[in-house]
Amino acid sequence: MSRTSRLTARALTLAYEDRTVVDGLDLEIPDGRVTVIVGPNACGKSTLLRALGRLLKPRSGTVLLDGTELARIPGRQIARTVGVLPQSPTPPDGITVADLVARGRQPHQKWWQQWSEADERAVAEALEHTGTADLADRPVDELSGGQRQRVWIAMALAQETDLLLLDEPTTYLDIAHQVEVLDLVRRLNHGRGRTVVAVLHDLNQAARYADHLIAMKAGRIVAEGPPRDIVTAELVHEVFGLTSVIVPDPVTGSPLVVPGVPWQPAAAD
Amino acid sequence: MSRTTPTSPENTNPANTVARDSSPAAAGRRVRPAGHAVLRRGRGSLLVHRRAVLVAVVLAVLLAAAVVVYLCVGESFVSPVEVVNVLLGRPSPDQLVVGTLRLPRLVVGLLAGLAFGVAGALVQTVARNPLASPDVIGVTHGAGAATVAAMSFGLVSYTALPYVSIAGGLAAALLVYVFAWRRGLHASRFVLVGIGVSVALGSLTQLFLTKGDFIVAQQAKVWLTGSLNSRGYDQAAPLATVLLLAVPAALWAARAQRGASFDDDTAVALGIRLDRVRLGLTALGIVLASVATGATGPVDFVALLAPQIARRLTRTAHIPLLSSALTGALVVVVADLLARRLFSPVELPVGVLTAAVGAPYLMWLIARTRSRSGGTTP
Repeated sequence: MSRTSRLTARALTLAYEDRTVVDGLDLEIPDGRVTVIVGPNACGKSTLLRALGRLLKPRSGTVLLDGTELARIPGRQIARTVGVLPQSPTPPDGITVADLVARGRQPHQKWWQQWSEADERAVAEALEHTGTADLADRPVDELSGGQRQRVWIAMALAQETDLLLLDEPTTYLDIAHQVEVLDLVRRLNHGRGRTVVAVLHDLNQAARYADHLIAMKAGRIVAEGPPRDIVTAELVHEVFGLTSVIVPDPVTGSPLVVPGVPWQPAAAD
Repeated sequence: MSRTTPTSPENTNPANTVARDSSPAAAGRRVRPAGHAVLRRGRGSLLVHRRAVLVAVVLAVLLAAAVVVYLCVGESFVSPVEVVNVLLGRPSPDQLVVGTLRLPRLVVGLLAGLAFGVAGALVQTVARNPLASPDVIGVTHGAGAATVAAMSFGLVSYTALPYVSIAGGLAAALLVYVFAWRRGLHASRFVLVGIGVSVALGSLTQLFLTKGDFIVAQQAKVWLTGSLNSRGYDQAAPLATVLLLAVPAALWAARAQRGASFDDDTAVALGIRLDRVRLGLTALGIVLASVATGATGPVDFVALLAPQIARRLTRTAHIPLLSSALTGALVVVVADLLARRLFSPVELPVGVLTAAVGAPYLMWLIARTRSRSGGTTP
């Protein structure tokens, strides 16, 4: 198993104003795999992802891309290597799908190279890949949540980066659309060996789709590794404070977390 | 080592996956941003929004027509043929009326309109709010306060007033910028601070007006409405210089603007240096608005109206700079034509006309913004 990592964090401390969210965290994102970060609300998982994608400057410590501190690399150059899809991106008013996806080419363009053959190919592929080619001329405002999420992913894809960071890409989607987006994420990794890092809310989905799972609690990493190795009733209890039974997922064989204590009227009050 | 999750979903349909990943089908398809044409030569390529070009051409033609009408109409009517003769520098019996009396005033109005249009477009882009304009970020009131102070206290000569006004506008905008800056420039804080500073400066202006000489206060009042009466090449010269210098900056801005229309996170993810872009766009907008205000006084609502009209015409995702400039010029020229002739022989300040059109528009815009859920983007 290759143990290389292009994106790493060293003694990373992240804070908003006065509140420290992540304190002295070390991390290596394995190349060519799908890494999923899970944890309870406010455990710092999204904050960590934002720092990895240089949307948040570390209070101290560093994020390294190919051994160089992110802060020392020009933004455009990072944007050609690392794509980031924030949690709730806002499209420009009235923009069409093709236009929005084409904006993903921005880090590759110069004032005298506004629409190269490579731009055109990358956008066509991104639309194709995400199944949004038929929506190309529709305004983004008019799309459903699932379609919109696929379009944003298409924009990040058109950026043609080796690494892709997704912050809760399934939030606000119904179950069918969640699966659709997660299948897409797997395909992205499978096709090009892209490194994908995603923050997910749902532990079962994380266990099902991740090669490498990172469980966080209160700003630190509690466990990391392949879901089969690390997802145990003890871990679930430690991270989420939930009693549960772990069974194999009947479809994929990955660990499935079933909450373990039935609700009883007497226990309610 | 093989995949850690050998039974993960993508393996259930390998054929499908392979087909999606190879791209010959996608490669042949022509995809480009909606409504754009691509001009390619060698490795260079330009993306041109067809409708934006068409709109700019139509606006330019309308502006040319408005210019000719403006120069024809007045106390005495001059035929369009003679107007064109004067414009082309040919000898004409109407040289005095057209070339000396009407043309300088028109030139000031036209240039100020261009500057207000661009300034409004830039400020609205940065603030991501169609309600924003140089009035909002303090420029107009700064220029007003400085000019009225200079007039009331007789500090400087009349010809130096444009420069006082420019300095006042820049100073006020700088003040807003400094107050609004907190580890980056946040759009809504920028607008709120701007409104606060504007209100303070407006009160200061009123104070100067009451303290100063009565006659001077009357003149200052007219200036504060925004007027082209007795404006000429003295006011046009600094304006023309700055506009010329601003052309390369505007070319940069037109591209930088596209990136600034995203939310902060997405813009950074695309490698856009958001703070630098915002600083650049705002600085350019502030300079243009200050210089234009220096020439004409605050002609209300032009900077607010022009970019939104232009954008509705071009239907682009961002505010088109060239069309905003042309719309601004067209609005000022037509408004001043009406201001001169509507209550002839009384000539109204052009600012009264633009306010008469602009105020209802602003009310409509606010009503529409409130009825729509969520934030507004330009």
